[in-house]
Amino acid sequence: MNKERRDFIRKTGLGVLAGICASSGLLPKFSLEETVLPAWDEKPVPGKIRWGMLIDTRKCLNECSECVAKCHFVHNVPDFGNRKDEVKWIWKSSYEHVFPTSTQQFRTSDVLLRSYIAMCNHCADAPCTRACPTEATFKRWDGIVSMDYHRCIGCRFCMAACPYGSRSFNWRDPREGIKLASVDYPTREQGVVEKCNFCSDRLVRGLIPACAESCPQKAFTFGDLNDPKSDIRALLESNNTMQRKPELGTKPSVFYII
Amino acid sequence: MRINKTILTIGLPALLMFALLAFFRQSGNAVEAPKAPPAPVAVDSTKCIAQTEYMRANHMKVLYEWRNSSVREGNRVFIAQNGSRFQKSLKTCLGCHATNRLFCFNCHMYANVRPKCWNCHLSPMETP
Repeated sequence: MNKERRDFIRKTGLGVLAGICASSGLLPKFSLEETVLPAWDEKPVPGKIRWGMLIDTRKCLNECSECVAKCHFVHNVPDFGNRKDEVKWIWKSSYEHVFPTSTQQFRTSDVLLRSYIAMCNHCADAPCTRACPTEATFKRWDGIVSMDYHRCIGCRFCMAACPYGSRSFNWRDPREGIKLASVDYPTREQGVVEKCNFCSDRLVRGLIPACAESCPQKAFTFGDLNDPKSDIRALLESNNTMQRKPELGTKPSVFYII
Repeated sequence: MRINKTILTIGLPALLMFALLAFFRQSGNAVEAPKAPPAPVAVDSTKCIAQTEYMRANHMKVLYEWRNSSVREGNRVFIAQNGSRFQKSLKTCLGCHATNRLFCFNCHMYANVRPKCWNCHLSPMETP
């Protein structure tokens, strides 16, 4: 091996090394190891974030219920196979059931035949939180209407107060109705009301809600309604959207593109 | 000529690396990631959060405090007396203590205490 080749190999090696160092230093996003910032260090500031969801119903397929299956698996929602004991966090329904107070007359047949995703609206002015006598249901700092199952006494005032039917009562021990259990999330117990938690358990881990993630059509857009630069705000500004029963003044955080 | 060659041999691979990095860059932003910085705190299950004697007498108070501050106030990080940090979660405890499947039950049975934790949470007996 002559001297020039050795020099060439040595310099190439140095060059590669320099390239790696420079790229990981200059572009921290591509650095070799992801750094975990100590977020959630302090108490979050109330009202700074307001999580919201936008559902593009034009993309939603009638025969698909991937979001429902994923959500109910992730959160150990029981299925007893009958309507009386039904527990649901997210479900699909017809136009007249999801938007009963919106106009039914002379809608296009496409709109009337489509199925629509319904879930807890995480209202800015949630009636369920006011009905709860133990403050088991409460408005979180980030706009999520959350439930502290430890406090729920099963009075079901919240179910009466919710105008969207987003709450279910556990008439039976839910563990009997779970075929495939997820170990990442607890179950509930008999005599407790439950509802969609906007995947607050997943948000902590830096994941988007399970329904949004599972949708093959990408019909869900999740984001911060208080952030004018977020995707959801951009879509809200460029599309005509609807909320469920807006006349009640609950200010839902779930929006629909019809 | 010599200097030119040196620049070329070092510069070319460096350029190549940049080009490659750009190629490997994550593409597609169909679903917007949450904007808040929800970086999880690593669950450190190699050490206890407090002295054994203290935990034996006060674990219920600790759990009560953790439950309220994490669920209701969103304050999810517990800083122990020696400065180490833990996620306020039952999983932090069970990450280590679940190795003994009877960890909770032995004492509770002896003391005839029946806490309702396992009505919802997975007990050490049920964790896989």
